[in-house]
Amino acid sequence: MKLYAYCLYADLDAFDNSVPGVSKAAVRVLKIEDISVVVSDCEAVPVTQENMLAHATVVRAVFTRTTPVPFRFGTLATEQQLRSFITTNKRALANKLAHLRGCVEMDLKTTWQSSNSFTTKPNSAAGPGTAFLLEKRRELVGNDQALAERDELSTFLRTALGSLIKDEKIGLPTSEKPTITKVYHLVESAKIKEYRARVEDLRAQRPELQLEVSGPWPPYSFANIELEFGSQFGVS
Amino acid sequence: MPDFDQIIVSEEWENTDVSLLETLDHVLNRGLVIAGEITISVADIDLIFISLNVLVSSVETAHEMLRKRETE
Repeated sequence: MKLYAYCLYADLDAFDNSVPGVSKAAVRVLKIEDISVVVSDCEAVPVTQENMLAHATVVRAVFTRTTPVPFRFGTLATEQQLRSFITTNKRALANKLAHLRGCVEMDLKTTWQSSNSFTTKPNSAAGPGTAFLLEKRRELVGNDQALAERDELSTFLRTALGSLIKDEKIGLPTSEKPTITKVYHLVESAKIKEYRARVEDLRAQRPELQLEVSGPWPPYSFANIELEFGSQFGVS
Repeated sequence: MPDFDQIIVSEEWENTDVSLLETLDHVLNRGLVIAGEITISVADIDLIFISLNVLVSSVETAHEMLRKRETE
């Protein structure tokens, strides 16, 4: 029998596990080392919208009590594999749980017209071949403009939101117009209202920027750990 | 004593208009990925560790889900 894993957490004795899991399976907590893993007994999980929402609902049930580290949808493993994963990555998981404790993820979608770009415009004199290769490069590593705009947006938001942001993940700006960049902020749960208010202030300061906030979310965007192999040997 | 985080998160959650698409984006594209680790050995000597991510859905199913998301 395999286990479907929803999330893990460290500092909670119990939670409401009456919430149905994927494929309506019962949800239970598996204690491994000092970490609690929320699982269902399951052999396979059909990729359906209902199951994805069930995953999100179980994670949210834990989220109302403490900050979980959510697994990505579709994580199936044997109990032995789960135990091996947690034992092998015990230090990294402990660091991750400590980093996320008491925090939520706030998502900020920023949209602006390229004419109001943060930085310079792309080189429009490039021929079709050069333009094609530049676009391919942008898809792979991001072009200089996208990287510069991302960095400038990050600096702008960090300056404006300051200590409200504990951590940040930021995507590359899209190449289409208007330019959209997704930004994910890790925010202490006690500061959510202040965060929203500060974003409102930003809207007033920079009307050319469209800022859409969603959240609080369980910290999906901050969940991945650096593998022990990478942290120990400097290889990722 | 009530959990402080619980109060804040629950209160904010009630006021949040979270779209279905965003929820699916979170559970499908983000979150902790279990990585398996294997050791390649030759003549009982461990030579190298390789880590691999576990992909659960078939490629065909993943494409189908992506198509659905794009049309929603």
